Amino acid sequence: MQQFANPTRFLKLANAALPYIWIITLALFAVGLYGALGTAPADYQQGETVRIMFVHVPAAWAAMMVYSIMALASAMAIIFRHPLADVAAKTAAPIGAVFCFLALATGSLWGKPMWGAWWVWDARLTSMFVLMLLYVGYIAIWQAIEEPSRAAMVARIVALVGFINIPIIKFSVEWWNSLHQPASVFRIGGPTIDRSMLWPLLVMGLAYTFLFLALHLVSMRSELGARKMRNLLIARGGRS
Amino acid sequence: MKALAGLLRRDLLLAARQGGGVGTALGFFLTVLVLLPIGIGPDQATLQRLAPGMLWITLLLSVLLSADRIFQQDFEDGSLDVMSMSALPLEFVVLAKAMAHWLTTSLPLAVAAPFLGILLNLETATIWPLLLSMILGSIGLSLIASIGASLTVNLRRGGLLISILILPLYVPILVFGLSASTGDANIAGPSLLILSAMALASLVLAPLAAAAALRAYLK
Amino acid sequence: MDWTAAHAGFVTASYVLSFIFIAGLMAYVLLRDRRVKRALLEMEKEKP
Repeated sequence: MQQFANPTRFLKLANAALPYIWIITLALFAVGLYGALGTAPADYQQGETVRIMFVHVPAAWAAMMVYSIMALASAMAIIFRHPLADVAAKTAAPIGAVFCFLALATGSLWGKPMWGAWWVWDARLTSMFVLMLLYVGYIAIWQAIEEPSRAAMVARIVALVGFINIPIIKFSVEWWNSLHQPASVFRIGGPTIDRSMLWPLLVMGLAYTFLFLALHLVSMRSELGARKMRNLLIARGGRS
Repeated sequence: MKALAGLLRRDLLLAARQGGGVGTALGFFLTVLVLLPIGIGPDQATLQRLAPGMLWITLLLSVLLSADRIFQQDFEDGSLDVMSMSALPLEFVVLAKAMAHWLTTSLPLAVAAPFLGILLNLETATIWPLLLSMILGSIGLSLIASIGASLTVNLRRGGLLISILILPLYVPILVFGLSASTGDANIAGPSLLILSAMALASLVLAPLAAAAALRAYLK
Repeated sequence: MDWTAAHAGFVTASYVLSFIFIAGLMAYVLLRDRRVKRALLEMEKEKP
């Protein structure tokens, strides 16, 4: 991590890696979509709608992974005062928020034909909904506080408090629902997943991950550039 | 400890003299309590089934509404600055203020709510378990409210942001508070224990988080 | 994929929605990056 502490060094590494990351992302999506829409069989219960899983589950995984990265970055900002940690957390949020929204939207589109309802309040969906709120709150904090270092300090706490909260919510809603609906258990994708469906799922999961990596590195580059501009402006303003 | 008690006493005196807190919160509580049966319809059976949930949610919203008061005044007139430089750690300042909020807002509401539930045709047998669970839960409610208040203490439109930040944190308290107010001892018992655990956990964690947030604003 | 199956519309909608939002996200990130890069170049030219 220490080698990435220097912004210039980080940018050099990121710029060198990005073309390859984009190529890998494109390839993964190509292969994944081919598997999802082409080779994966229709589910014997759900029919073709099971294909929604290949865009829904990776989006959900990505949304959770990105938030974990934000929490980790926030922790590193607090513990090690790593100079790039706050930038990493701040720039990851909008990407994760889009993934979270897609998870919710595609989940709804999957739920309607499968369960007959656009939305149900089971533990998993409720947690994903709360995750969306956490993303919104986190991004709002960065927007609401003008002074960047203060915004960073407050944002770290928001990220960490939220991160602790997600598993607690999932557990409590799961428990609450078990009291109220002992019979039905909403299972996405069925009890065990067939290998012909598993590999496209994993490939799409990797595709979303590499997409995040690419977009995150570009966002960090923009953010560092924007900060440099602001510092230059301040420096020049002071000189005259 | 003496400094903590002193600070607590000061905040209680201020609250008593200004009278903003519990009055407004109670007023909001009663207003919502009037709106709910109008919105849901007068069917007594439905109201009775929904009453515990509605009372809990109204409690959450009322506490939330009063959250931004916790640090705002002292922040604005510079007292918080002075307190942060005193020998008393900022975490204890947060604790004192959260306790003051609890004593002046959350606790009175938690005590009143089950009895006001009669307006919603609440089952009489539920009043006592609801009272117990609400009093226990209200501790966590005030402490978590202090986190939200500290994160937004200097923001202009902090109120809406507080809601987004705090309500997710309230979900576990709501869930276990509700299950603690059922008649079934097998469910209520463990729920009360979990509620107590959450109160204790927030007693430790909330001041840590809130103090860190306040330090960001006091710099 | 059998495009005529029941509920095929939901599948199409999901993929189209995902595509639109991912494309939008990419556009936002990449365009912002280009804007910052250009502005930074301008600023560094201005330096006396």
